[in-house]
Amino acid sequence: MPDFLTPFHYDYMLRAIWVSALVGGVCGFLSSFITLKGWSLMGDALSHAVVPGVALAHLLKLPFALGAFVAGLLASGAMALIKAKSRIREDASIGIVFTSFFALGLLLISLNPAGVDRKTIIFGNLLGIPDKEVWQLVIISAVTLLVVGLKWRDLMLFCFDPNQARTIGLRTGLLHLTLLTLLSATAVAALQTVGAILVVAMLITPGATAYLLTDRFGVMLWLSAGLGIVTSVTGAYASYFFNGATGGCIVTLQTLIFLGAFLFAPKHGLLSARRRARANAEATAAS
Amino acid sequence: MNFFEPLQFEFMRHALLTGSVVAALCAVLSCFVVLKGWSLMGDAISHAVLPGIVLAYLAGWPLAVGAFLSGLLCSAATGYIKQNSRIKEDTVLGVVFTGLFAFGLVLHSRTESELHLDHILFGHLLGITDSVARQVYGVGTFVVGLVLVLRRDLLLVCFDPSHARVLALPVKFLTYLLLALLVLAIVVSLQAVGIILVIAMLITPGCTAYLWTDRFDQMMVISVATAVASTALGILASFHLDGDSASCIVLAQSLAFAASFLFAPKHGWLASKRRAARNSAFPSAVS
Amino acid sequence: MSDSPDPPAPLLHLEVQQVSVVYSNGHHALRDATFALSGGTICALVGVNGSGKSTLFKSIMGFLRPSAGQVRINGQPVAAALKQHLVAYVPQAEEVDWQFPVSVWDVVMMGRYGAMNFLRIPRAADKAAVEDSLRRVSMWDFRDRQIGELSGGQKKRVFLARALAQGGRIILLDEPFTGVDVKTEEAIIDLLRELRTAGCIMLVSTHNLGSVPEFCDQVVLLNRTVLASGPTADVFTEQNLTTAFGGVLRQFHFEHSTIQEHDGRTVRLLTDDERPLVFGKDGHLEYKDREGREDLVRQREEQGG
Ligand SMILES: Nc1ncnc2c1ncn2[C@@H]1O[C@H](COP(=O)(O)OP(=O)(O)O)[C@@H](O)[C@H]1O
Ligand SMILES: [Mg+2]
Repeated sequence: MPDFLTPFHYDYMLRAIWVSALVGGVCGFLSSFITLKGWSLMGDALSHAVVPGVALAHLLKLPFALGAFVAGLLASGAMALIKAKSRIREDASIGIVFTSFFALGLLLISLNPAGVDRKTIIFGNLLGIPDKEVWQLVIISAVTLLVVGLKWRDLMLFCFDPNQARTIGLRTGLLHLTLLTLLSATAVAALQTVGAILVVAMLITPGATAYLLTDRFGVMLWLSAGLGIVTSVTGAYASYFFNGATGGCIVTLQTLIFLGAFLFAPKHGLLSARRRARANAEATAAS
Repeated sequence: MNFFEPLQFEFMRHALLTGSVVAALCAVLSCFVVLKGWSLMGDAISHAVLPGIVLAYLAGWPLAVGAFLSGLLCSAATGYIKQNSRIKEDTVLGVVFTGLFAFGLVLHSRTESELHLDHILFGHLLGITDSVARQVYGVGTFVVGLVLVLRRDLLLVCFDPSHARVLALPVKFLTYLLLALLVLAIVVSLQAVGIILVIAMLITPGCTAYLWTDRFDQMMVISVATAVASTALGILASFHLDGDSASCIVLAQSLAFAASFLFAPKHGWLASKRRAARNSAFPSAVS
Repeated sequence: MSDSPDPPAPLLHLEVQQVSVVYSNGHHALRDATFALSGGTICALVGVNGSGKSTLFKSIMGFLRPSAGQVRINGQPVAAALKQHLVAYVPQAEEVDWQFPVSVWDVVMMGRYGAMNFLRIPRAADKAAVEDSLRRVSMWDFRDRQIGELSGGQKKRVFLARALAQGGRIILLDEPFTGVDVKTEEAIIDLLRELRTAGCIMLVSTHNLGSVPEFCDQVVLLNRTVLASGPTADVFTEQNLTTAFGGVLRQFHFEHSTIQEHDGRTVRLLTDDERPLVFGKDGHLEYKDREGREDLVRQREEQGG
């Protein structure tokens, strides 16, 4: 029996693999919107900002998704408030809010050592995920997929040109809120698989990679979802050999694929741009 | 128990001193971070140092050297990819720093090491070794001194790089110098207070000060003052609460920011509200 | 500008020789641009948005390396001219972060950094230069204001004062008149005329056609290359401008203009901005003001019979 099949002999590995495929796919799906909207920092921020919600939910024996969700909304409200009512720029206001929320989360955890483990939050705990939480992930993923599946055209227009979206009568406020909600929901899901610090990678790297590979939004959507699934499955599998560093494996893989696309993408890659520039220079010289 | 009583312990005084130096160092730089729009950069570099730390540990080098190199790699790679692809800067930064951090995790999972990931992430302010403290004092003095000497040039480079270039100032050099000082500050602070606190310390004090004044020199002074005061308050509070000290410091800074956001004399929310009310009452008196 | 008696300023030359600029995304923003200017001129750089005006400025300032051709100042490469602080730049309003914590005084003092010691501690001469420049643009009373607390025209004047304080001899102004009231516009123009007398080269980018003949003696017409360059009267022809812009008609008041009965009231307007450009019969330029152009009016009256 070759060594590399051993992971499949363990139930917990099989479950880890399919759960991460689900989460990776949903995150990848959403990442197309996030990269186009320019919300990378927001993804990073929300994934940290949900932590106090998770910690409190554990204290109060509520579903963690609920706590995370409320914390995420509070954080994005605070960011919007600071940006709107002061001279602080958006990136800094996001930075302030998410570090505060994250610190609050860590403080709550440190005050209540019997509750959730700090390591679980930071690095995820895909291999030891309890059944109850798997169900929450499945529900989050299903709802996200449903909403995006129904509304992806509206969301796309909203990301691409919010003013146009408003003029044709779409409710952009609602779309904004929807996207934010989906973002915090998936951030919570990804928190379980890769941990708070690496969630942002799940939410932007597949989208950025796909953006280098295609000019069609429809294609981009499927490509990024596919990339999310493949890297998550492979990463979860590989983590068996890496002391369970699931998040590290998944995200390293995603980054490598991104670098590949950056270099070799047929149209927007570095090498093809070089080739084009050289052809351009020759044409100029010849004329 | 008296609030200041913990100061009778040697390790508390030690933590207070080192924490204050770190706070002052980061606060000086945070003025530039805020004005240059580098919040995400600080966040990213703080995470990206991880693989450097692990590799330096394996190679037997001083950890700070590895961290420094890997932080520089992060900003260089981001600049390069942004220059040569169509992806927005913040997305590239997100992809790169998560990639590096994930790689660091994978590396760490394969090393049988004494390296405490916990300490790198959350700091270990109450147990700082003398050698780390000495590094903090040395590097802190060096960085703050250099920044103070060059602050006018650095300010010009942040404010109007084009003008700096027509004056034949070495703009590229100054920008990279600022970046290198930032990395240096992150690297030494990291060992004392951990990644999460460093990020907050690089963003929040600068923003707080920015709400209080329109003069750069005053901004630096206010920034340092709030950062040091928050650190003292945070450390003492963490002792009394028996909670995580880094989180308490971050939260103390956040409170200072929140108070400034509300009550700052000119740029605070209430002040601008009052101004708006006055202007609508006497529309002709608009200055 | 500086109070030490200047040695007689050598004549200035700015040469742009077959400059092509390709941005890293492959966009060919300028192709084969060529023109030359000598000291004592106000030259308009005219072209639609995206025609490469800012790009040309950036190559003159040495921020962009041309993929072909070169820019020479007094026969030297740009870098050498920058070292002598010859070039000053008045940025476009959008390029500036107006919330930045610096005062009017600080900004103008930044013009002196090239001449200051390493620590940038201002000496009496620097302070005097700053005060003098601020007074010349009538902004001395505003010296302690934060730069965001000024009107559009005042902001422009502050940056112009910075160029004065710097003592730059080649002054590049990127869209100085957008968002500026008429009074300020005229004040700026007066100042530019003074500098012209002092022998400076001013290159003013604008898409505000109407004011160009009022104060510019030379024009460079740009649309991703130099379409035409030379004295205003030669270059600013209806045909050239139509190639560069395509015409857009707007309403215009003729009462005080140089348009005469001799033209049979046949006029054409070219504009893409607030102040239109007017051509009379035979395509010669009309000016909004007769003052100072009496001989032109007389000449045309004679022609018209
Ligand atoms: N950094 C850049 N990268 C790629 N293209 C650019 C860049 N800056 C300007 N361009 C393009 O070059 C052209 C000329 O721009 P610019 O010189 O700013 O025009 P103008 O100042 O006349 O409005 C435009 O089409 C613009 O999109
Ligand atoms: Mg322009």
